[in-house]
Amino acid sequence: MTDIVIAAYRRSPFHLAGKGALTKLRPDEMAAQVIRALVADTGIDPGTIEDLILGCAFPEGEQGLNVARLVGFIAGLPQGVAGVTVNRFCGSSMQSIHQAAGAIRMGAGEAFLCAGVESMSRVPMGGYNVLPHPGLAADYPAAYMGMGETAENVAHRHQIPRVQQEAFAVESQRRAAEAQAHGRLEAEIVPVTVGKESVSADGCLRPDTSAEGLAGLKPAFRTDGTVTAGTASPLTDGAAAVLVCTDEFARKNGLTPLARIKSIAVAGCAPEVMGMGPVGASRKAMERAGITVRDLDVVELNEAFASQAIACMRELGLDPATVNIDGGAIALGHPLGATGARITGKAAALLQRERGRYALATQCIGGGQGIATVLEAVA
Amino acid sequence: MSDAPPIQKIAVIGAGVMGAGIAAHVANAGIPVVLLDIVPGGAAKAVERMVRADPAPFMHRSFARRVVTGDLGTDLELVADCDWIIEAIVETPDAKRALYEQLQAVRKPGSILSSNTSTIPLAALTDGAPWTADFLITHFFNPPRYMRLLELVTGPATRPEVAAAVTQVADHALGKTVIPCKDRPGFIANRIGGQWIQSAINNAVDLGLTIEEADAVMGRPLGIPKTGVFGLLDLVGIDLMPHIAASMKASLPADDAYVAAMRDHPLIARLIGEGRTGRKGGKGGFYTRRKDEDGASEKYAIDLALGIDRPTERAVLESLEAGKRDIAALVEHPDRGGRYARAVLIDTLGYAASLVPEVADGIAAVDAAMRLGYNWRWGPFELIDRLGPTRFAAMLREAGRPVPELLDRVAEGRFYREVDGVAEVMQLDGTHAPLVRPEGVLLLSDIKRLAPPMAKSAGASLWDIGDGVACLEFHTKMNAIDPDVLGMVGKAIAMGKKGAFRALVIHNEAENFSVGANLGLALFAANIAAWGEIESLIEQGQKAFAALRAAPFPVVGAPAGMALGGGCEVLLHCDAIEAHAETYIGLVEVGVGVIPGWGGCAAMLRRWAEAKGVPRGPMPPVAKAFEMISTAQVVKSAHEARDWMLLRPTDGITMNRDRLLAAAKARALAMVEGYAPAEPKPLRLPGPSGRAALMMAVDGAVALGRATPHDVTVCAHLATTLTGGPRADITEDVTDDQVRKLEREAFMALLRTDPTLARVEHMLDTGRALRN
Repeated sequence: MTDIVIAAYRRSPFHLAGKGALTKLRPDEMAAQVIRALVADTGIDPGTIEDLILGCAFPEGEQGLNVARLVGFIAGLPQGVAGVTVNRFCGSSMQSIHQAAGAIRMGAGEAFLCAGVESMSRVPMGGYNVLPHPGLAADYPAAYMGMGETAENVAHRHQIPRVQQEAFAVESQRRAAEAQAHGRLEAEIVPVTVGKESVSADGCLRPDTSAEGLAGLKPAFRTDGTVTAGTASPLTDGAAAVLVCTDEFARKNGLTPLARIKSIAVAGCAPEVMGMGPVGASRKAMERAGITVRDLDVVELNEAFASQAIACMRELGLDPATVNIDGGAIALGHPLGATGARITGKAAALLQRERGRYALATQCIGGGQGIATVLEAVA
Repeated sequence: MSDAPPIQKIAVIGAGVMGAGIAAHVANAGIPVVLLDIVPGGAAKAVERMVRADPAPFMHRSFARRVVTGDLGTDLELVADCDWIIEAIVETPDAKRALYEQLQAVRKPGSILSSNTSTIPLAALTDGAPWTADFLITHFFNPPRYMRLLELVTGPATRPEVAAAVTQVADHALGKTVIPCKDRPGFIANRIGGQWIQSAINNAVDLGLTIEEADAVMGRPLGIPKTGVFGLLDLVGIDLMPHIAASMKASLPADDAYVAAMRDHPLIARLIGEGRTGRKGGKGGFYTRRKDEDGASEKYAIDLALGIDRPTERAVLESLEAGKRDIAALVEHPDRGGRYARAVLIDTLGYAASLVPEVADGIAAVDAAMRLGYNWRWGPFELIDRLGPTRFAAMLREAGRPVPELLDRVAEGRFYREVDGVAEVMQLDGTHAPLVRPEGVLLLSDIKRLAPPMAKSAGASLWDIGDGVACLEFHTKMNAIDPDVLGMVGKAIAMGKKGAFRALVIHNEAENFSVGANLGLALFAANIAAWGEIESLIEQGQKAFAALRAAPFPVVGAPAGMALGGGCEVLLHCDAIEAHAETYIGLVEVGVGVIPGWGGCAAMLRRWAEAKGVPRGPMPPVAKAFEMISTAQVVKSAHEARDWMLLRPTDGITMNRDRLLAAAKARALAMVEGYAPAEPKPLRLPGPSGRAALMMAVDGAVALGRATPHDVTVCAHLATTLTGGPRADITEDVTDDQVRKLEREAFMALLRTDPTLARVEHMLDTGRALRN
């Protein structure tokens, strides 16, 4: 069977929504800049790409219509490259990768641009026109429950005290700051142009985060809650892209694959504890890959909230040393639609850097789902 | 208008409280401004601090961007293209002159240089120096955004164009009342105000008043802000006093009444020594706040004789009761309050009367300076008129004081009088001449003297303000809107339809445009279960305001001060608004447990639906209106009102309150030709789906402790109304009338709940919102 590989990974810098350096950058333009750079860097003939699969959690406004197709035009992809927008909320761009892998397995193409974008500055979370089904909202409010509340539920059910969440956040910030300081994030970042300015570094990090500082923050979602702005991922602007192709395609284009896609999975869970989504999805994916947690050398577990990340690590029995080696979303930011491509690309890159064998990329999804990808080193 | 070259860019040097505040206010006026400070980074820090300060020096947060900051040491060339450079540095002549020398090298020829000094004579800052012809003193009051007085001192060699250009920009752009002063220490306001403070302290000590009593007597009965004197010192900083006193002592003759009254009060020295300099230091001053054992905050007052703090006691004096009638009754009263008022007024009004023409060319300037610089309701001569000049002269004689010449000259008359509808003021020679208003100023109070109203009721009047424009004036208590006012709105529309005028301006000169519906009336009606009457009052208001929009002539709202609740709803139904910059607008009904019932909900939906740059779809207008109304948002300036569509981009903002009516009238006249009322397009509202979304947001607010149980009830009604009701659907049109019907139903349902009635009662009792 043909191996399906991740042959390249790039992303924009991530910046705080509303006040960061990307606030004035349209999301379609942002995604196009990242894709253009990825195509240029790999040196592939863009005409050989089957499809641009673009994830976005709130595909409306400037990231609306079929934004994938429009991004293709802005990025200068040939007309023959198709474009599809995918929405699985936070799992959107990991879903892009899964769709590409499925298509390749079907023999429906050799190479796919799998990307994600979210401008949380320019399209609010929930979109401009939130119109819930009144009956469902009344009978099953969990279906529409706010993410912060689900994080509180997880903290409560899994007994994750505030101080533990804060220690986790401090460590995430420390790892990200160290990675940034040592230039370990530079290779993955595509400098983007905003007006006349070029933005080349991440902007969400708070390297001076301390446990004492976090302890002083007010709960962000419930007066009696434990989750604060410091233990939640910030609203973020960003885009990310990976090249998913056959091993053969990579090699004939002179590309060294970062990792092989070994297995994929999605799974539903209770929406009121949506943060636990990675547990079911990861178990399925690992079973499909024929591995166990002990086989994992690298894990990218999206830190939507410290509480759910800790609870998932505990449930899955993950070794903290392998999880989010260069920091996670609490420090780096979480542009919803872009995060899946980032953590999958990052897991592949880390697998190569750390010389590991297996990697897991997984994330929780609003509404009660998880998504997971198992990667294997390319021999 | 003057022929002076316009001032297009201003620099302020010195980023202390005054300099930074002046720079912020220049930014408020939309004029580019450079702010430099001697401390590296000091100017930038000052701007940062001001963005967070409350009360806010900036009228809109974004205006901070209009201030270019720099360091005096390295960035002096930033002033090179400025037309006016305002110096606000340390109060020493040498430092100031050294700065001016430096500026000579960079400032452009003909640029204006002014000092914000409050104590140094102009002569000491010029004295034949090369900047003399371009130089003047511009003395702003603190805080520069809010205080309307600008004292202006020119020297004999100051070019006339300099004063003209500064006056022009200060009046029109900065909204100040410019009062020309003589080059005398303290100019007008601080000379008289400083003496008043001195006298008020001395006499409180001598006559054995508590500070609460002194402030109660000095405050409301005399038309002085309720902080009185000790509260005022706490507000401005007790440590400021010795500085001003020392500088006055150094520059005034020893027999000046102010200097003669100066006294060292050991208690004040002690407070300053302990760092208890007033509200700014956090340690309090004459008044302090302390937490009791239960953690509740209690206000303490210092005993002037014993120097110990004790819980505050409300002043109870017969003279205060008498003072509610008139000032004469207060000063004639034999108790210590009456004697206190009498002693302080003898000192202060006598002193003020002796200072003309030393400090100003006329008495109107002195009165205006005290009104605008110290927020007195009446200036010294107006106070003497209220007492009666002959009575006051007698008071002086009885006290063994000299009677100033001006008092002899006014004799049996008054300083101010009205002749054939024209307000006149006494001149120095004892004759009277009309009060002169700056060109372009139109005051309703002047118009009202000239002719009877076109129509009048107990609560509102209609005035002819010329050129076929009528002005609808509210004049109920706090300009609350009641059936009588609504009746007059209807009457005005009927008269306009018959051709009595071409355009209507809604305006008044009270402190506040309108605080909303008459709550007392609503509560009374609810208590006797007069539900039918209440509902018909709601309907009357809805009809009256809807008729304003549908009237065949343009209607312009011209608010200043607060425009809350119903007062806001009137404005929302005008074709255009010309607002004073210091207008505080909001739909605050949820604070009393109801929702806007006079078309405010429908009007806000419409404004947002028609706004440019708002995302499409049924929810954005609903969400915006809900956010504002459910939080009882009150904007803190007319500029902020634009953020909430309370003012539309086409509406105007006037900086000078005295020019508001003229600007509104001009706006109304410009709309007359070809005017046709706008045909309202139907709204598309989301119905129950949108309501579900709004209630999710309310749930979030509950979880965060930001919404109380009754807030949820009120918000549910508001959500139903704004989303078009249970039968609304995004495929069908909703008319304004349908939304108004929902408003009415929600209003009536809420008014029948106990928590809403508790909120109304609490508001009437305390003036604050009950959080139940």
